[in-house]
Amino acid sequence: MWIKKYDFDYGRRMLLEKTVKGVAAAGVLAPLWPLIGNAADSSKAYPDELLSIEAYTKGKIKPGDVITASNVEAVKDLLDPIAYQQVKTMGRRINIVESTKDVTKLFPAEYLEATLKNKGRAKLDGDGNVFTDNGEPWIGGNPFVEPKDGVEAAANLTLSWGRHDYSMYAVRDWDIAPDGTQAYQYDFVWAELNNTARVDGKVWNGKKDILRYQSVWFTSPQDTAGSSYLNTWYYDQRKFPDLYGYLPAFKRVRQFPTNQRFEPLVPGITFFLSDAWAAGDPMLTWGNYKIIGRQPMLGAIGSRNFMGGYHPNYERPVHGGPKNQTFHDVWMELVPECIVLEAEPTGYPRAPVGKKRIWIDVRNGMYVAYVTYDRRGEIWKSFEPCYAQYSNDKLTVKDGAHPAWSWVAVLSHDIQANRMTRFVQAKEVTGGYKSGYSVGKDDVYNKYLTNQAIARLGSA
Amino acid sequence: MESFRFRLAALVMRHRGFTTLLFALVTAFFAVGLRNVELKTIFSDLLPKDDPFVQVYKDHPNFGNPLTFTLMIQRKDGDIYNPETLAKVWKLTRDVDLAPGVDHDQILSIATEKARYAEATPYGIDVRPLMEDHAPTTPEEIAEFRARVDKAPGARNFLISGDGTATLINATFIERLLDYGEAFNYMQKLVEAARDEHHDVHLAGQPALTGWVYRYESQMFVIFAVTLAALVITLALYMRNVVGVVTPIVTSAVAAIWGFGFVGWLKSPIEPLLMIVPLLLIARSFSHCVQFTERYYEIYAHLRDREKAAEITMGVMMVPSVLGIFTDIVGIFLIAIAPIPAMERFALFCGFWAIWLIPTGTFLISLLLSVLPPPKNIDKLVGHGGGGVHRKFSQLLRGVAATTYGRPARVTTLIVAVGSVAAIYTALQIKIGNPVEGSNLLWPESEYNEGVAQINRNFPGVNTLEIVFEAKDQKSPSRVTRQADTVLTMQALQAEIERSPQPPRATLSFGDYLMEANRLFSGGNPKWAPLDPTDAAVNAAAGAVMVGSSPKAFSNVIDFEQQNGTVSLWFKDNRQETVDAALAEARRAIDKVGADHKAFLIRLGTGTIALQQAVNNVVDRYHWLIIGCLNLVILIGCSLAYRSLVAGLILLLPVNLSNVVLLSTMHLMGIGLDVNSMLVAAIGIGVGIDYGIYLLSRICEEYHGQDHDWGRTLTAALTTTGKAIMFTASIMMIGILPWYFLSDLKFMADMGLLLTLIMLINMILALVVLPLIVWLLKPSFVGRKDLLVGESVDLSAIVAEDLGSKPMQSAPA
Repeated sequence: MWIKKYDFDYGRRMLLEKTVKGVAAAGVLAPLWPLIGNAADSSKAYPDELLSIEAYTKGKIKPGDVITASNVEAVKDLLDPIAYQQVKTMGRRINIVESTKDVTKLFPAEYLEATLKNKGRAKLDGDGNVFTDNGEPWIGGNPFVEPKDGVEAAANLTLSWGRHDYSMYAVRDWDIAPDGTQAYQYDFVWAELNNTARVDGKVWNGKKDILRYQSVWFTSPQDTAGSSYLNTWYYDQRKFPDLYGYLPAFKRVRQFPTNQRFEPLVPGITFFLSDAWAAGDPMLTWGNYKIIGRQPMLGAIGSRNFMGGYHPNYERPVHGGPKNQTFHDVWMELVPECIVLEAEPTGYPRAPVGKKRIWIDVRNGMYVAYVTYDRRGEIWKSFEPCYAQYSNDKLTVKDGAHPAWSWVAVLSHDIQANRMTRFVQAKEVTGGYKSGYSVGKDDVYNKYLTNQAIARLGSA
Repeated sequence: MESFRFRLAALVMRHRGFTTLLFALVTAFFAVGLRNVELKTIFSDLLPKDDPFVQVYKDHPNFGNPLTFTLMIQRKDGDIYNPETLAKVWKLTRDVDLAPGVDHDQILSIATEKARYAEATPYGIDVRPLMEDHAPTTPEEIAEFRARVDKAPGARNFLISGDGTATLINATFIERLLDYGEAFNYMQKLVEAARDEHHDVHLAGQPALTGWVYRYESQMFVIFAVTLAALVITLALYMRNVVGVVTPIVTSAVAAIWGFGFVGWLKSPIEPLLMIVPLLLIARSFSHCVQFTERYYEIYAHLRDREKAAEITMGVMMVPSVLGIFTDIVGIFLIAIAPIPAMERFALFCGFWAIWLIPTGTFLISLLLSVLPPPKNIDKLVGHGGGGVHRKFSQLLRGVAATTYGRPARVTTLIVAVGSVAAIYTALQIKIGNPVEGSNLLWPESEYNEGVAQINRNFPGVNTLEIVFEAKDQKSPSRVTRQADTVLTMQALQAEIERSPQPPRATLSFGDYLMEANRLFSGGNPKWAPLDPTDAAVNAAAGAVMVGSSPKAFSNVIDFEQQNGTVSLWFKDNRQETVDAALAEARRAIDKVGADHKAFLIRLGTGTIALQQAVNNVVDRYHWLIIGCLNLVILIGCSLAYRSLVAGLILLLPVNLSNVVLLSTMHLMGIGLDVNSMLVAAIGIGVGIDYGIYLLSRICEEYHGQDHDWGRTLTAALTTTGKAIMFTASIMMIGILPWYFLSDLKFMADMGLLLTLIMLINMILALVVLPLIVWLLKPSFVGRKDLLVGESVDLSAIVAEDLGSKPMQSAPA
């Protein structure tokens, strides 16, 4: 009850003040990170109105309610502009749940551990790359738990996309046309292996100059199966990744221009390589990073979003749009404090994108909303993620000793062309590939992450 | 006096308060509808909806690039391979990306990363943009760029002209976001800024055409205002009194409010390209009011009682007015027979407007006349002879009359007969269609058409015929354009057409992209270009083409879901001979490869060539049908009104002859039949026949007054009503002719010219041919006294009955 001594707008006012003053420390009533370090409970850092949607909306919206066109105005400030339009005009519904207070549910356990362990050890060198205090490539976890500027916030997103040293995502994708019909459907597998910035603190295979290998290969439908890509990211974030594609029918590797990052990988998909993880390009190929604000936000980050036990393959119910299949069902909650980050594609003189705006949860440094604008300043696309600790009332998936944490679904909406790409991290996709977050006994590098590997995956 | 029309007139005047209130309420109702009035050109509505080509176009609106702006940058003194030109192309391309509503994924120029070249390397295929991250500046970079262009057949054929002096930027817009006016203004500004002493820059494409039309349409308001002002000034000069000026203006304004308000309530957009017709209706209303008012003056001069005079005028003029307007209404409504949505909407708008001329031009005008102060110069107004001009007109008409009876009539008959035969012969030579390089909405020398001409000169151009391959299952899991039968049939069709005696300038299909991919991914040797005739091979090539790009990059040849495709054929021009040959050749080739396949149908077709033919087809099918129907309806209406079939025939003969004379004049001027002339013919007959009705009614009247002397009858009719006809025709021409001189839209100017011509010809023939026929036939209905259309009234009886001692001052007109 002690919180009552603060008036209703106190939290939002403080967030504004922090933005104006450039205060990096997360938390309003108390610094967040010491609380996370002690008990992982973030609730003491924020007043009621930033922890409870009911308090924030003065009772208009409660956990258990569904946001629809009729009540979306009450949370308009908590949604990115595209999500708001989807609810307001396209029949999208968003389920509301209680806010997650236990921060351990927002990370893979090892990643949070590494973040806490290495806290304060990251520095940006003269070029803007992240190194430890002794000049080594980053050693795991979020390098900047309380980012002082946009580049530091971007580094948290970029260095370890999936928060695991190795991840393989079995992805099922549906691409919905403006008339609400399904235009394309793909199964693909996405593998990412960090060489540096690993939670085990090691450099994989001694390759200090490489940040990660990442590949994607399509397994369905038949006409696309076998098409595959390999991205090699350098640790130096000024350098463009090498991008190779493989065409199984011709048994040939195709080298793509390294700066061609604003095209879809396959027909029908709305997002570009550049959009992946809100940090699809090396962070120093973008510029003019700016933290333009701090605000509460609605984000789909709680474990109710995990569909294990509800669907055998973790797929999601859909609704809305002309054919009632444009949007995933998601469960959003009030995120007390987000950094609002903007950046421009300064390294891409031909980019059709003018800027991206990212809302980053200060607790785990992960984005909860992302939109791009065209060069005229018109809003263009969203890449709305949905995360979960893989543990609900029906099923818990373990990652080592702890419940796994990962993304579960994404909505990528090109609102100009009005095309929607929605995909889920499925349990398994065509070809028998399963989602997972540990290397195990596999030689994943040679199996999935070399030119020979993608050639082999294509012919399989 | 006991007839229905006089009783109705008496009833209206007796309840003037109620009638006025009724008019006020109806006008208020329609005035509220004005807020929904929308003037908008819907281009697809200008096409006949039942035409098979138009149906293909509507089913596959993306083929033929209807949402694409094309910019051509041409170096005047050399080729494009210099830093200045390439920098200009780079900058323009980036600026085009800032256009409102542009699809950022569909901008293509040599400066975009979508223009690529590929090299087979020992390790695979290296695909790179023609330009690096900046426009080439040094001689080395330019040499490298030129070398890359040589390795990019797509860019070489479709983005850079054969002589290397010109290059294109294509930008496709998102229909939902495209505001044509805004986008065009933005693009045109870029084009104008980019022109300099070394560079010509042209803009073409359907959205640019729409933009130009919108820009010129805004000019229409000025022309509308100018012509309206001219009409009012003419009216004021002719009438020279308040009543005579105010009455037509108020009456016409009320009819206009009803006309616009009606379509406002229906939420039916008005086609601005046809706005000349409402102006014709205003002119029509003006001239009608003038005749009504003049008649009122005559009666008022006798009666000196505004109310009674108005009532009698209403009774007298009701039937001729209604009959005259009825023919207008029929003429306008029958335009809707042609299945062109814009025409249908327009017939509804103008047809009802014409209907509204009946209550306003009969009742409202009488109410106004009964309350407005009578002109002080009434005696002068009804006095015979008038001023010098009037006298000259009378002399002229007396001379005309003299040619229509007696001995001179034989010569006149001979001249008319020979002239008619010659006119019919010449009219039958007329061709259908008015091909213009670019768009026939605009003048050949307009900036847009000049741009199209330049692009046609340097590139395959814009005269395309699209042969559409349409999937039978639009959600086919094996995507029809990636199947062997589809792609190989496309190639067979192209080969068949390319072998024809008059082959197109270029052909393109998805198959061409697949062959290039096949060549490249098989190692680069041209012998690897042909596709194996298997689904696996075709699908592999399609995968190679599509990987790492959006299907939008190929939206010129396939749809987003890769189910439907098109074979595009480019022709050198859109002259009718070319169009006929192209369609015949396409039909032959389709028959050869078979139109009905297991997974798809081949449909001919869309693109400029097919759509031009669709419009010509509708003109061919409906021009004579509309004229036939119009003749039939008018024949029935007039025969009933005059209680004589001969009367109907006598009235129709001059207007049809006018139509024939117009067609022969058009043929001699090198103008073909098109939608414009169809509209003009219908309106020409509907509105033109009024002259005949006025004159014939007067002949019937004068026949009794002139003691059944045909010569005196015709002379009297021509010197009185004939003068009114000349005034009516002049006032109409004042409303229409300025459009020819003032409009930058050829479509409107043409219509202005043709309508002026038809009105002029109608006037001459009504004044000469109609009396001549009456003289030759001497029909018996002229002698009847019970005709509905008679304008005679025995004012002396009324004076004696109602006004006692007031003296008669003038005989009935």
